[in-house]
Amino acid sequence: MENRRGGTFNIRCAVNGGKVEREIDPSRTLLEFIREDLGLKGTKEGCGEGECGACLVLVDGKAVNSCLMMAVQLHGKHLTTIEGLKGRDGGLHPLQRTFMEEGAVQCGFCTPGAIMASEALLRENPGATLEDIKLGLTGNLCRCTGYEKIISAVEKAKQLL
Amino acid sequence: MPHATVVKPANLKALWKLLPSISPKRKYLAGGTDLVTGANTGLNSAETWVDISDLKELRGIKETAAAVIIGAGVKISELEGSRLVGRWLPVLHAAIPHFASPSLRNMATIGGNAANASPCSDGACALCAEKAWVWLELKGKRRKLPLAALFKGPKKTALKKDELIIAFEIPKWKHEGAYLKLGPRSYFGISKVSVAAALEMDGGSVKTASIALASVAPVPLLARKTADYLAGRILNEENARTAAALVKAEVSPITDVRSEAAYRREMAGVLLARALGRIGRRGENL
Ligand SMILES: Cc1cc2nc3c(=O)[nH]c(=O)nc-3n(C[C@H](O)[C@H](O)[C@H](O)COP(=O)(O)OP(=O)(O)OC[C@H]3O[C@@H](n4cnc5c(N)ncnc54)[C@H](O)[C@@H]3O)c2cc1C
Ligand code: FES
Ligand code: FES
Repeated sequence: MENRRGGTFNIRCAVNGGKVEREIDPSRTLLEFIREDLGLKGTKEGCGEGECGACLVLVDGKAVNSCLMMAVQLHGKHLTTIEGLKGRDGGLHPLQRTFMEEGAVQCGFCTPGAIMASEALLRENPGATLEDIKLGLTGNLCRCTGYEKIISAVEKAKQLL
Repeated sequence: MPHATVVKPANLKALWKLLPSISPKRKYLAGGTDLVTGANTGLNSAETWVDISDLKELRGIKETAAAVIIGAGVKISELEGSRLVGRWLPVLHAAIPHFASPSLRNMATIGGNAANASPCSDGACALCAEKAWVWLELKGKRRKLPLAALFKGPKKTALKKDELIIAFEIPKWKHEGAYLKLGPRSYFGISKVSVAAALEMDGGSVKTASIALASVAPVPLLARKTADYLAGRILNEENARTAAALVKAEVSPITDVRSEAAYRREMAGVLLARALGRIGRRGENL
């Protein structure tokens, strides 16, 4: 990756499975790049300080807080946002289904982040125990559900993956 | 938007060549969890961030006959899965679940944790107890310091302008370890007080001890008097109580938004006694 004239960066990366090449302002965070440059509005901004997890996405399969990563740091990497999650049949991902079925979504603001954190957890640890799930979601705040329903949605999705 | 431009040298050599040509108001960007957080909340004095997150020279966890070497750019989550950390660095290993959240552990580097020089740094505190040294480089010249000597005060280090943390060198010594952290909730929160205890055991007795604490002094604190007291003593309840009393005299906590000085002091003793208990119970002494 190189700095171009005028200080912009040319980044190449994969976004939800498709190749993307963009000239970007190097002072952009990954969250701004996702929402404003790519127009993918599923990823939310809550705190902008790493505390709430509403901005979680996967970079090379690992959960990261996109509010604290710079967009230039995505160069050469794979990004998955909530829009990139799919079930095997191309429909909803099991986590998206179980979140709805268990009532784990109320206002829905935390939901994309909570689903991405759960996806990262279950990819890494398909046999996650209740305790593993609770620990895996420590970085995700929800002001509505009281967490129990989110946890049961993840437990249920575990059986389906 | 953080209002800083980012430059990205391809390797260390290119970094030293690049620096004279960019704004003197510059900072290194590693995982960004401290730097970008600060910038997002309006605290950023640098015009240019030098992205070191992909520098190969800062990566990897290796071993020599006598030491484990951890690159400054190693992520906290990489430490979690490392066989070498599991085998040789029990205190650091025990500290990891207490470090922020899983996603922040995928971003935060151990070098950034030390360079940030927060008195609450869990990684730096654990590494101090592990007797770590730190390797620094400035324009191709390297030097080595005991890690504890890097910290000069809250957010103040012995780093010269542009000096880069390259790696941590931790001697291999056979020891047991524990890391206990008291925060606003069980996981994910900056500590009110943390205790890192490393004990070299000889049967039921402590041969040597290394004790570090976070959030109870201007820097990650090595409790040398307490460690000296424990050396050569049986690890039993009475000696753990005396060590707890000693550590309370070694700390110098303050009252701030997270906790009160008196509570921190008291809990430093309680956590140390618990940490010693945990290690002692493994050997059935406590
Ligand atoms: C919500 C939240 C929770 C947190 N919880 C914890 C916690 O529980 N425990 C804990 O210890 N910390 C915690 N932190 C702090 C932070 O995650 C760590 O200090 C982290 O290790 C910093 O590393 P980084 O790679 O993200 O550093 P960056 O933010 O990239 O850099 C931090 C500073 O170090 C400098 N720097 C980085 N690398 C180097 C290097 N190699 N050489 C010289 N200078 C360098 C940078 O210029 C900058 O000044 C938390 C942060 C947030 C936002
Ligand atoms: S918006 Fe990123 S953690 Fe809250
Ligand atoms: S559903 Fe509203 S914040 Fe979680």
